[in-house]
Amino acid sequence: MMIELCPSAEIAEGEIKRVDVEGLPAVAIARHEGALYVFPDRCPHADESLAEGWLEDGRVICGVHFAEFDLDTGEVHNPPVGCPNLSFFKCEDRDGTVFALLTGDNANV
Amino acid sequence: MCEGDCKGAAKGRPNMKPVYPKAGSYPDFAKLVDRENAQVDRRVFTDEQVYQAELRQIFARSWLFLAHESQIPNPGDFVRTSMGEDDVIVVRQRDGSVNAFLNSCPHRGNRVCMVDAGKKARGFICNYHGWSFGIDGALRGTDGKVYEKDETFEKAQIGLTPVAQVDSYKGLIFGTFDPDAVSLLEFFGDFTYYLDIMLDNDEGGTEFIGGAIKSEIDCNWKFPAENFVGDILHAFWTHQSGAQAILGGGVDLGKRYDELAFQASIYGHGIETNLDKVGNTRTLGYPDLVDYAFELSEKAKDRLGELRARAIGAVSSCTVFPNFSFLPGQNTFRVWHPRGPGKIELVVWTLVNKNAPDHIKEQYRKGVMMTFSPGGVFEMDDGENWEYSTRVNQGFVTRQQPLHYALGIESADMERDLPGHIHKGSLNDANQRLFYTRWAEFMEHDNWTDLQNGATAAPKKTATAAE
Ligand code: FES
Ligand code: FES
Ligand SMILES: [Fe+2]
Repeated sequence: MMIELCPSAEIAEGEIKRVDVEGLPAVAIARHEGALYVFPDRCPHADESLAEGWLEDGRVICGVHFAEFDLDTGEVHNPPVGCPNLSFFKCEDRDGTVFALLTGDNANV
Repeated sequence: MCEGDCKGAAKGRPNMKPVYPKAGSYPDFAKLVDRENAQVDRRVFTDEQVYQAELRQIFARSWLFLAHESQIPNPGDFVRTSMGEDDVIVVRQRDGSVNAFLNSCPHRGNRVCMVDAGKKARGFICNYHGWSFGIDGALRGTDGKVYEKDETFEKAQIGLTPVAQVDSYKGLIFGTFDPDAVSLLEFFGDFTYYLDIMLDNDEGGTEFIGGAIKSEIDCNWKFPAENFVGDILHAFWTHQSGAQAILGGGVDLGKRYDELAFQASIYGHGIETNLDKVGNTRTLGYPDLVDYAFELSEKAKDRLGELRARAIGAVSSCTVFPNFSFLPGQNTFRVWHPRGPGKIELVVWTLVNKNAPDHIKEQYRKGVMMTFSPGGVFEMDDGENWEYSTRVNQGFVTRQQPLHYALGIESADMERDLPGHIHKGSLNDANQRLFYTRWAEFMEHDNWTDLQNGATAAPKKTATAAE
């Protein structure tokens, strides 16, 4: 089931925002070249918040040990040892509201 | 710390607030400078306890040079330097301001930054256990999904220790570890009048070019500092052969020496100058630079007035207390970092006006390298003297012997309308006496009120203003 997250206008171009969802781990929403991306607000390396990181050249940068994840595939670059790829949730902008499929398997967009 | 019998999570959590040490008072060390008889006891150059007192009284309190703004133009740009023996990272913040932090991880103390300088750093990760710090010094995270599971861990109050105050003056960034220190401008006093000779002689300001040159010299840090504060005397003997090679003649203080040359000192900062326009610039060996300095001097009269315009390229030298020095005209800027009583690490940069033509900047860079670098004609001359002036004092009997700082004890110039203590002639020990007087003030006083109102403060000039 798609879950409502927040008004899409709250996600500015080039920014990452953390959204708390009841009963589920927090998610991060990023906007890059207009498109929205939703992913767990938890770095696959050591669980730190990715919303406290930033976007750079189409990648999410974790602000802690600087792992970089491609926004389209989730592929990790500059990984600290053992850092897996990032997964994204399916998401949609429905009339100005961000919805995402947070249950079931994560699916890279 | 919780030693086993304590219950309850709140007990025994570490207080990770930064610690800024308080100064003390060392009257016995202050007496090593004998103002009455213009003498300095050699223990100031060799004694380990005196040295430790210097780290506490002088280097943990003074405003110390950190970097030039031009070295770190963008957020995340950083340089690593020292304040005394403390390793420090100076980094441009996202809001454009500059902060500085101790380069030591609050976990086990390891260095978090290993390189000398870098651009657009994202942060600093400690090599030991992976604690990660933002360019704002805050602890961003740790490694291994371990601390997250420990509910007592208080990440928010952990970070790199910030240098207590950071400020800049016309491109030069300074910092102090003392939260109670007077402002940078008060620390300079009216000495900014003389700093502007180099920092404000052209619109557009200044920049450092060509990186830094580092070297070590086995000498006490005060020998080079006192040399630049007011020892042009040594040039005639020490640098005579170097000058001969470059200029085809000896060191020349200009025809109007008696009338123009002077020393000025405020709060231990000092400059000696001969107002001969281009004597220093000439020693770099490039005729184009001499032309440039002449033109600049002419142009700068509007900004600086006649007197200071003559000083831009002149035979002159300057120290900002305690250990930051430069040579107008030769444009070499340097810090003498103490490394024990008998060693310094010397870091040297070249300063130019941003608006200077490229080939002029390049000639300054090369000229400084040929003269004031470890292999440079003049630097080599100096280093050996300072090393032996230091090393001989290992001799127990030798270090009981008096030293003479009495050249020009009756040369005070009460007439000349210039800021600070003015002495006639640049060939004079006056600034060096005042440098050591400042040193003694720092040894003696544990507070800034006394520090700013002692003998080294600019004398009140009563008569001149009225006339
Ligand atoms: S927690 Fe993200 S890279 Fe280590
Ligand atoms: S010493 Fe820095 S993380 Fe342990
Ligand atoms: Fe010299």
